[in-house]
Amino acid sequence: MATIILPGGKRGLRERLSRVHWPLIILLTMVAGAGVVTLYSAAEGSWQPWALKHLIRFAVSLCLLLVMAMVAMRHWMTLAYPVYFFALAALAAVPFIGVVNMGAQRWIEVGGFQFQPSELMKLALVLGLARYYHGLRAEQVSQPLYLVPPLVMIGAPVALVFMQPDLGTAILIGATGAAIVFLAGLSWRIGIIGVIGAFVAGVAAYRFGILKQYQVERILTFLDPDRDPLGKGYHLLQSKIALGSGGLDGKGYMLGTQSQLKFLPEMQTDFIFTIFGEEFGFVGAIGLLLLYYAVIMIGINIALGAKTHFARLASLGVIVTFSLYVLINTGMVMGLAPVVGVPLPLVSYGGTVMLTIMAGFGLLMSAYVSREQDAFSGRGSL
Amino acid sequence: MRINVHDPERQEILNRRAFLFGGAVSLGLVVVGGRLYQLQILDHDRYVELAQDNQFNRRIITPLRGEIVDRFGKPLASNRKNFRVLFVPEQTRDVEGALDAISEIINISEEKRTRIMRQIRRRAPFIPIEIENNLSWDQFSKINFQLPYLPGILPDVGETRDYPYGEAAAFVVGYVGAVTESDLSQAKSEEERILLRQPGFKVGREGLERTYDKELRGAAGSMNVKVNAYGRVIEELKDQAIPPVQGETLALTIDADLQLAAMKELEGESAAAVVMDVVTGDILVLASTPAFDPNAFNIGISPQEWRALNESPYKPLLNKPLSGVYPPGSTFKLVSAVAAQIAGYKPGFRAHCPGRLWYGNRYFHCWKREGHGWVDMKGSIKHSCDVFYYTIAKDIDVDIIADVAKKLGLGQTFELGIPGQREGVVPSREWKRRFFAGRPENQPWFQGETLSVIIGQGYVTSTPLQLAVMTARIATGREVRPRIVRVLGDIAAPPQPAAPLGIDPAYFDIVRVGMDAVTNEPGGTAYRSRLDNPDWRLAGKTGTSQVYQITAEERARGLTDPEDLPWERRDHALFVCYAPFDNPRYACAVVVEHGIGGARMAGPKAREIMRAVMTKDPAARPAYDPRVVAQTPERSREG
Repeated sequence: MATIILPGGKRGLRERLSRVHWPLIILLTMVAGAGVVTLYSAAEGSWQPWALKHLIRFAVSLCLLLVMAMVAMRHWMTLAYPVYFFALAALAAVPFIGVVNMGAQRWIEVGGFQFQPSELMKLALVLGLARYYHGLRAEQVSQPLYLVPPLVMIGAPVALVFMQPDLGTAILIGATGAAIVFLAGLSWRIGIIGVIGAFVAGVAAYRFGILKQYQVERILTFLDPDRDPLGKGYHLLQSKIALGSGGLDGKGYMLGTQSQLKFLPEMQTDFIFTIFGEEFGFVGAIGLLLLYYAVIMIGINIALGAKTHFARLASLGVIVTFSLYVLINTGMVMGLAPVVGVPLPLVSYGGTVMLTIMAGFGLLMSAYVSREQDAFSGRGSL
Repeated sequence: MRINVHDPERQEILNRRAFLFGGAVSLGLVVVGGRLYQLQILDHDRYVELAQDNQFNRRIITPLRGEIVDRFGKPLASNRKNFRVLFVPEQTRDVEGALDAISEIINISEEKRTRIMRQIRRRAPFIPIEIENNLSWDQFSKINFQLPYLPGILPDVGETRDYPYGEAAAFVVGYVGAVTESDLSQAKSEEERILLRQPGFKVGREGLERTYDKELRGAAGSMNVKVNAYGRVIEELKDQAIPPVQGETLALTIDADLQLAAMKELEGESAAAVVMDVVTGDILVLASTPAFDPNAFNIGISPQEWRALNESPYKPLLNKPLSGVYPPGSTFKLVSAVAAQIAGYKPGFRAHCPGRLWYGNRYFHCWKREGHGWVDMKGSIKHSCDVFYYTIAKDIDVDIIADVAKKLGLGQTFELGIPGQREGVVPSREWKRRFFAGRPENQPWFQGETLSVIIGQGYVTSTPLQLAVMTARIATGREVRPRIVRVLGDIAAPPQPAAPLGIDPAYFDIVRVGMDAVTNEPGGTAYRSRLDNPDWRLAGKTGTSQVYQITAEERARGLTDPEDLPWERRDHALFVCYAPFDNPRYACAVVVEHGIGGARMAGPKAREIMRAVMTKDPAARPAYDPRVVAQTPERSREG
């Protein structure tokens, strides 16, 4: 398949493959491996129904990553706006042709496959904004006129996703967008005003009942988990019990009582970190966090070593999304953030998120493959 | 349009900001790691405890209720298998279809079906729901046979209280019933509350079941079980289990065979019978008809059934031997004859009976209108002459009669362990003062009242048990005390040697001779009720206690035959007796409510009951001792 994407390529396929950042691939595989191992345990020692599928999905996504990495960065820049508008159109179409699933309308069915436009948008927004700031000078970034397009580009998908309703993804998309605007060089003054504005908007949303009841509940529960221990706070409490009882070195693989006895809710998706923490303890959990940290730091390094402003911003956007996933999810299962339904990347069970993440890294890898020969010749690496 | 701005400044900014971002992520991960440290290392112990609480549940194992057995070990209250059919909703997709299938074997009313469906919706789908209990073996085996075609159906065998003798022993053992809110609030410990909350757990509601409830309950066992988040049991930790201990066995003095015989004899009447061993005080028979079926109470009866029981004029819920109070009528003359001797009248004292006696401002009639002529003390008992006693009553102090009556067992309750005993009334001057405390004009004793009391009418009332005790004390001259519990677990109540009564035993001689004459001499009021066995002579006394006084106007209308009266206005029929005459062993009292006459209704029934007692002679057989039974295996181990 890789043979067909070579238009305008200056380098041969073999050379490009050799320029892939293989240590990053290995790190990503280790993280996904942790997911497989944990899902196998969550199913009481069975490849079904999660572990095997997770493994296959990772393998497929890895292929996608490599294929994307083979595409030169300038092609991604050409595709940036079209991809963004396609994602926005799909998102706008969800209310009309979407499939309702678990009380929320997030899916579109295409030829028997279901996909979530909101997931595609995470990547598309990164591409779109990177493309936009690629054409702006530093002094233009903070000018009000040039602020309007990015605000619309961020605001439209956030509003659409929020109405699905999917608060977690809306926050994630909004935060990613804001982070890119910040990275592009928005002045601190406007940035701070923006943060305050977002906060006021959030309070207003709460006051005027724009948030669904369960979303309000989740935020209130986050503020006081003991408010309703058998209701909304139950997830969090059980999750903390799982982690806490795991201790320093854990209860042992497949011996986590909280998970094996189903005290942990949604444990194969959003709360999977707690199974891992229960069975492998503090040592294991910190180990997993360090893997994530390594991925993020390598990612930032790759971004800063990229050839074009577009490539740098897009790569950083991918890493921002990834970091937000990790921080929000781990914070959420430990009571540091509200339970908003954000999965742990590459570990949580779920095909779409896996695909989005790996596609993001495909983009990042493309930036790395397309780097200058002397990528690390003193150009702002960390 | 191709824009490619070369602007080193924006790259500088990007580098700085990326550096900041990297720092923020690092900080974020440090915070997450710190939180992890707090949860997993600092608060570890607390969460381990919470995880344990999640994981392990203590499950109570309900103990078997102790048995109540008769004097020869026959169970009066035991436990039986309760065949139930449960339904586990999660085992089938078609709940309606499953219920249809089971309805072909057992009847499920619409009402019940609605209730089951409601439970299914409310409970976790793996918790079994009881569809029906107390199934017949026939139904149960049919369900088991068809089980492959009954999805979700779970046949189950539990334990429930069983009363093999049904209504025959209802008033002896009482019954158990479902635990109420007040039982729960009165529970002394959390342990007890947990036991009371066990499904199907029953507590003693009446009779000995109630009095000895704690002893019969036994000790609950327990087992730790590992459960998952939904409460489903994953594992039973058998090695940590504490086995339950069955409740104590309660061995009674009752003879179930004789009890059955007495119940049969009283069948159809509203009546009571008590048989006592006059030496030990053992109550052999405590019969009350009509009775209720304690098994029905255990299962639960409908409000309609309850109302029917409650409103019946035959009072099937009244424990008549202990809680029914009746004027003793002429059976009280046995007391009066002893009192007369204490007051100085010799057995040879004679009085003339013309059929009535003028006292105060009116005539007191003898039951025999034409009179008895000259009557001595023996004859007064044999013929039950009222005028003889009126004559004495004219100048005897009522307190002497009251004293004798008390000493012979009237006007008091006994420690039997069966709740609801009534005291009855033994009238005396002191009693009247207290009784009429609110009406001083009625407080003084009028001698005319003694004339009523001396023949067992007026204020005096007694229970059948008291009459049996009275007879036993007359037969032996000793203070026989009734008892019904012989052995409780490993504590035996030894029969206590009866103390002297505090009445000159010689005074009883003429009374006994009189009683012998009642049944064994032609002309005695109960000659028809004799037992034709020279070695086992039955000595008795009839009694007829007035319920309603036929008015002069009614008499004028020609209403003289009590059978013309409605049932509830007819006189009570009483009979007390003991046997054998020359070596007393058993005493018996029979009361037939509205039975018109002691001689015609109560006497024959008492005789038949005593015939059964004579045939079996329970006092001559060794009684069952649960302690010996319990010790047997231990002994064989030592040997």
